[in-house]
Amino acid sequence: MTCEDLRDSYELYSLGLLEGEEKREIEAHLGRHCLVCERNLKDALGVNAMLLSQVPEVVAPSRLRRRVMASVGIERAGWAWVAALAAACAIVVALWLSLEKRAADRELADARRTLQQSVVERDRLEQAFTFLNQPETRQVNFGQGQPAPPRGNFFFNPRLGVLLIASNLPALPAGKTYEMWVIPKGGTPRPAGLFQSGQQGTAMHILTGALDPHMTFAVTVEPDSGSQAPTSDILFSAGL
Amino acid sequence: MLTRLIPVSLALALLQVALRFKDDVDLARRLRGRDAGAMRELYDRYGRLVYSLILRIVRNSAAAEDLVQETFLRVWNRMQAFDQERGALGPWVLAVARNRAIDYLRSADAKISAGALELDRLEHPGQFSDFEDRALSLDRARRLKDAFEKLTPNQKTVVELAYYEGLSQTEMAERMQQPLGTVKTWVRSALKTLREQLSEAAAV
Repeated sequence: MTCEDLRDSYELYSLGLLEGEEKREIEAHLGRHCLVCERNLKDALGVNAMLLSQVPEVVAPSRLRRRVMASVGIERAGWAWVAALAAACAIVVALWLSLEKRAADRELADARRTLQQSVVERDRLEQAFTFLNQPETRQVNFGQGQPAPPRGNFFFNPRLGVLLIASNLPALPAGKTYEMWVIPKGGTPRPAGLFQSGQQGTAMHILTGALDPHMTFAVTVEPDSGSQAPTSDILFSAGL
Repeated sequence: MLTRLIPVSLALALLQVALRFKDDVDLARRLRGRDAGAMRELYDRYGRLVYSLILRIVRNSAAAEDLVQETFLRVWNRMQAFDQERGALGPWVLAVARNRAIDYLRSADAKISAGALELDRLEHPGQFSDFEDRALSLDRARRLKDAFEKLTPNQKTVVELAYYEGLSQTEMAERMQQPLGTVKTWVRSALKTLREQLSEAAAV
């Protein structure tokens, strides 16, 4: 076949659609670098491009650009995962900071509570020394000579009140506390404050305020909330 | 079932096509230099057209996205074989896109065999050099559109079957239930009409 015979076949050839004798002929012409056929093939490729480029255009998804760039290694595939990772990290950090802050707050509260307890304890000790240093303070002990009862002293000061220092106090069941009473001569017991013993069975309790010198002091075991009158036997007592 | 190849389009689109094709020399040079910015520019210039073409052929958006990615990856990887001074970047990109889509259709029909290799050979970047500037002019694009509109329905159909469905003339004859000789006449006359219109434009 001549180049002219093949004139209408270059487009199909360049699209990979030419068959049979015509295809073999074009390949033979191109194989021997036939300038006419090479020119005709270029023209056919131009026609193809012109036809293909007139396809109605539609909008491509925006993610496609990122995907294409990622496939050639220009951008990371899906910056979305980076954003998601960053967000996850931010949440973890925020959570960690929140937990840290809560722990710090808790420690601070504990420290404040300890400090407060120390201040209270110091005030009570100062108060106790004040009792002990006053010349008019009188001491009355209890439990002396007994095998294993509570033992200790009441320090009475008619102007300041009464200080109780006790040891060998029995461990209390849950929900119970010690309550001190002042009992006027011939009168009924009046509540004089609640207190707990320490781990060694020791306790110190102070009732402030002027008191009549003819008083008896007693301690009973009462419910946590305290009682207005003794509800159990007197554990120990002493009178002036 | 077959739709019109050129719907109501658009002098502006043709202008864009022609300008796109003519302005590719610098872009090709930068692509050969593995310039990441050039790749972005290539996508911005041809991505929408490539997606539209592939979607028109495969009619499946998920597959179209895969094939667009494959098209640009293939262009990027074969850029070193492209003639940066005399090559026609746009026609090459479109040929790669069209061939990827047609290959996908053939694979779906279990017709891979030698066809894939042939498409691969026909879209070699070396094929797309030494284009005459005038081959891709706005005037030629407009004339091609006008010429296509003047084709008979059967001529339009066979052009569509060749460009967008990748059917050989024998397959067209089966699809259209027409004698092979008749189909060949339609194909030849259609392409001759289009080519002559373009030649007249080139001669002006």
